Amino acid sequence: MNLNPRSERKEATKFLYGLCIFLAIMLGFPSIINLWFSFNEVTFHNLTGEGFAGIENYKNALENPKLWKALNYSLKFAVIATIFQVTLALFMVFTLHPLLLRKPWLTAILMLPIMVSPALMGVMYRLILNEFTGIIPGYLNMLGFHVTLMSRSMIQYTVIAIEVLQWTPFAFLILLTARQSLPYELEEAAAVDGAMGIKFNFRVVLPMITPAIIIVTFIRFIDSFRVFDHIFVLTGGGPGSRTTSISIYIYKLFFQRSELGQSVALSFILLVISLTLLYFGLKLIVKKE
Amino acid sequence: MIVSEKSNSKKTIELGRWIIFIVIALVINLPIIATILTSFKTTAAINSSPPTFFFTPTLENYLEVLYKGNTNLPRYIINSTIIAAGGSLLAIFLSFPASYAIVRHGVGRSWLLPLITNIRALPLIIYAIPLYLMFQLVGLLDSWLGMILITAVISIPVALVLFVGFLQDIPIEMDEAGKLDGASQRVILWKLIFPMSRPIVIAVFLLSFITSWNEFLFGLILTTKNATPVTVGATFFVTTYGVKWGATAAAMTLGVLPPVILGLFAYPYIGKSMLSGAVKG
Repeated sequence: MNLNPRSERKEATKFLYGLCIFLAIMLGFPSIINLWFSFNEVTFHNLTGEGFAGIENYKNALENPKLWKALNYSLKFAVIATIFQVTLALFMVFTLHPLLLRKPWLTAILMLPIMVSPALMGVMYRLILNEFTGIIPGYLNMLGFHVTLMSRSMIQYTVIAIEVLQWTPFAFLILLTARQSLPYELEEAAAVDGAMGIKFNFRVVLPMITPAIIIVTFIRFIDSFRVFDHIFVLTGGGPGSRTTSISIYIYKLFFQRSELGQSVALSFILLVISLTLLYFGLKLIVKKE
Repeated sequence: MIVSEKSNSKKTIELGRWIIFIVIALVINLPIIATILTSFKTTAAINSSPPTFFFTPTLENYLEVLYKGNTNLPRYIINSTIIAAGGSLLAIFLSFPASYAIVRHGVGRSWLLPLITNIRALPLIIYAIPLYLMFQLVGLLDSWLGMILITAVISIPVALVLFVGFLQDIPIEMDEAGKLDGASQRVILWKLIFPMSRPIVIAVFLLSFITSWNEFLFGLILTTKNATPVTVGATFFVTTYGVKWGATAAAMTLGVLPPVILGLFAYPYIGKSMLSGAVKG
């Protein structure tokens, strides 16, 4: 016992150095680059900047009507996808929990979609939605439905549906974890009171897993809002800009149209907004806990 | 009479649950099932309408993407394996000591932990452009190391949350015993606590490996050919191969299988990491 707690604490602080330095380089420094470039007149050929641009980049970025279209689509995408994911997940918890309690290995089958890369999931849907060889149009036609899910009018909903189908299991897993942590005595007590089935789920289970529902809603909303992968491989943001989410919009600004100034300005705005929302969002969740 | 009626309605409910389970399992897994089936079909079988479920399986598509066709798929798979393994190990060796300091000494608990848990929720596109420019400057574009660094960043939040949760449950007497033997904190951490944490280290490795393997955005932006991961490489098949759905499906299957198999072991930890992360964050 020759170490006093004070020097111990000091020694322990060193354990944080590696992580902090790493994140400072990988995330802190890039944030500064975003901030610096966003106020400078930079091009691909002159990365040191040709001079102070003031708020010019921000002005250009915000005045671009396509930005608002992309933001609008991202919001719509996230709201619709989140509502469906959470509702379906809740339905699954209510109906499948007793079954999965007895046969836990069945849960794994429902988890397969979330292990698949969203980009490859997008390609797989491309395969099964293909007009000529895809199995979905094939069977829909057999049943007498003639809808092309990849058409101009349908595509923006098709990509939302794909998000829902891939990530509902994730919401389900978290809600199921919360449901399984409820004591079993609860069911017995409820059975005595005559509260069974649907009534039990809505009156007893629902209020008790509400914190988990809030967390899941929050996580799924954020994840859906920043969607990129499966839309990118399915439509590339098109046709036109019908499926351009905010992530795809920034990507295109930079890598296809070389609007360096606008894209870094937007990245910085998005960073500030995200951090603010997360700060308040987490505060809300911690309070509810 | 009443008893049998009750057990009858119980059976009906049970049957209902099974039907719901099977329908949901089939619907959400449909693209995976269809892709795997397609990968074993001949071109003629793929083009038959209506789609057939009964066919003579062929390995032709796999032979084509792995050996015969002039594809880089084996290379992409190797890249993904190295990047995912490297990124996961880096995330573990950076997060484990940090979680120990947070749990045992409370350093950084109030600011570092919430800050890092927030990274998980940031739109990654924010960092795409500055990292691209940075990597260009230091020559890390299209390299394994560059991709390993990125995937480590993405894996760190979950690793930290799971480690903190696990270390909290290790009694402090363990450390005390080590101290009595005169061991330094570094020795206690790596020689005593780390081996005890094997189950959670394995879980973190699996989850990080899956996340890193499935990463797409940075693979798309930061690699061109040498370090291209399979998530990006497999999408090339759609354009370069056009209508060769069999080969595409085989490439997809190979790109999807490793994380799906690992996921069967790792999924219980996802629920835990999310719920404890929010409580402690």
